[in-house]
Amino acid sequence: MNLRLKAAIAVAKSAGSLSKSLGRGSGETLPGRILLALCPDAISLLSASRVIILVSGTNGKTSTTKELVSQIRTVGTVVTSGSGSNLTRGVAGALMQDSVFAVLEVDELHLPEVVAETNPAIVLLLNLSRDQLHRMHEVKRVAARWHEMCKAADPSTLFVADIDDPFVNFAITGAASAIRISFGGATGGRHPDGAVCPACGRYLDWINGKYACECGLSNAYADHLYDQGSAGYRNFVMASHVADIAGVHNALSNIALRSDYRAMERATEKVFAGVKARLRLTKNPASWDEALTGVTGDNVILILNAREVDGIDTSWIWDVSFESLRGKKVVVTGERGIDLAYRIHVAGIENILVATFDQAIGHFGIGSVEVLAAYTAFFELAGR
Amino acid sequence: MTLKIVRIHNELLGTYGDQGNAEVLAYRAGLAGIGTHVVDISYRDVIPHDGDIYLLGGAEDAAQILSCAALSSGALHGAVEKGAVVLAICAGFQILGKNFFANGVEQRGLGLLNMTTVPGDKRYVGDIKVHSDLLGIDLTGFENHGGKTILGSGLDNFGRVIVGNGNGDSGVDGAVLGNIFGTYLHGPVLARNPEFADLLLSRAHGAPVKVDDALADQYAQLRRKVVK
Repeated sequence: MNLRLKAAIAVAKSAGSLSKSLGRGSGETLPGRILLALCPDAISLLSASRVIILVSGTNGKTSTTKELVSQIRTVGTVVTSGSGSNLTRGVAGALMQDSVFAVLEVDELHLPEVVAETNPAIVLLLNLSRDQLHRMHEVKRVAARWHEMCKAADPSTLFVADIDDPFVNFAITGAASAIRISFGGATGGRHPDGAVCPACGRYLDWINGKYACECGLSNAYADHLYDQGSAGYRNFVMASHVADIAGVHNALSNIALRSDYRAMERATEKVFAGVKARLRLTKNPASWDEALTGVTGDNVILILNAREVDGIDTSWIWDVSFESLRGKKVVVTGERGIDLAYRIHVAGIENILVATFDQAIGHFGIGSVEVLAAYTAFFELAGR
Repeated sequence: MTLKIVRIHNELLGTYGDQGNAEVLAYRAGLAGIGTHVVDISYRDVIPHDGDIYLLGGAEDAAQILSCAALSSGALHGAVEKGAVVLAICAGFQILGKNFFANGVEQRGLGLLNMTTVPGDKRYVGDIKVHSDLLGIDLTGFENHGGKTILGSGLDNFGRVIVGNGNGDSGVDGAVLGNIFGTYLHGPVLARNPEFADLLLSRAHGAPVKVDDALADQYAQLRRKVVK
């Protein structure tokens, strides 16, 4: 390791522990930020001597990365980025420690930069759909960047992709090496944003989750074909493929029969004021649809915020069908709770709008409630 | 009387949540005792010419080109001649003009509005507030587009910009011609501005429609207060 890099890491690490001891945040992104300031090429220098595996996509990045880390730990030491710190500073921070493998969650827009700097062995591309449009602008724009990234990547980099998502499939058409995985079609019969072929701009007709454009972009032929399933299951299968390639024994054996993926669904249980709450993260139309499918009880709290990472525009809530909540007891809260309360009011679903989560919980006495929470609200409640 | 609300190409023009405009119209009409029938027309369908209200939403570039091509058959022109109400948002609004840019190339629009849209100097993203002289109130929404729309003669603007950009740097947003309303406001615009929904219903119904819905008013007032 060169001296300049060594010195930069020493400074960054001590700043991180100082910040932690002063109680200024978790100290997760600060060291990475300092490291990059002192040594701008730190990411590429620190990547050179290890196996880099990157995970990106609109939904499921964090849980898939966690799953992958736990599998790869069985064959070697692993460093990973902290939950949600998926920009370059998070990547730099994670790489400060020595390891054989680095498994890193990377933000969709930052992925091309991180691929170029780390020269990864494997890149797992999960999915692309509408999210934080104030920042992403268009789904197609992100897919086009990924496409250029795949073209520019070193031929030794292997892309593992869910081709039922046409945006992901288009991205890897530029890759020298790729593994194309299909689950027999997109969940729900079509990709919600997939009306236009991202490769050529023609109208894309969907039949039972399948598409086959005149230009050749299609999910009809895959390297590996699996049964349909939840988003958690799909991501688990994809992670297991990556683990298999990385040398994990039996990563793919009996995969269709396993249920380990249930742990990947980003849900956590906590008790608030005597009420058992099952928290689920909901941040865009695709994740709301997925979370609503999982609501089995009759008591529901919905939380909507609109901070930067939640997406500052709430218009997309009108693209989520809340029909499945009809007849349940629904309490709405959050900084933009009124947006959501009005949206489901128009859908004819009775609800109570309250100012705080504690007031919302107060509506349920004892018992249990399912909480569908915006990104920032989820982490705030999970950390309470 | 039942109002026929035609939601055009939602799979193409549904990127920014504008499909909610149809739901708001149907809901408020219901509260006013007016029946509605929302018809979804996809790209492969023939566009009916007997609709009372036509809705077009925001879209990505490639989708905007496809939708415009499908609309160039003239069904919308026919409906407009018969006095139908049209609400067009963002990319859907641009389509109504003489020309617009998509995928970096100039495209021919439907020519229903004497206006043209060119690429802006930047992307206009954020909360927007405009004052509508027609309604006599401020309206709020969220804009997210890269187009600069230049209005020609014979068009009124939809609103004077108080916060945000609207048509670009001209200080106005959208366009109005008879029963055609175009704007850059997402939100959806009718969810955040119930008075505008009632105006469209009044035009389509041929008599004043005024709906009381306390939650809608509370929501609208809150947005008008915080967007500044």
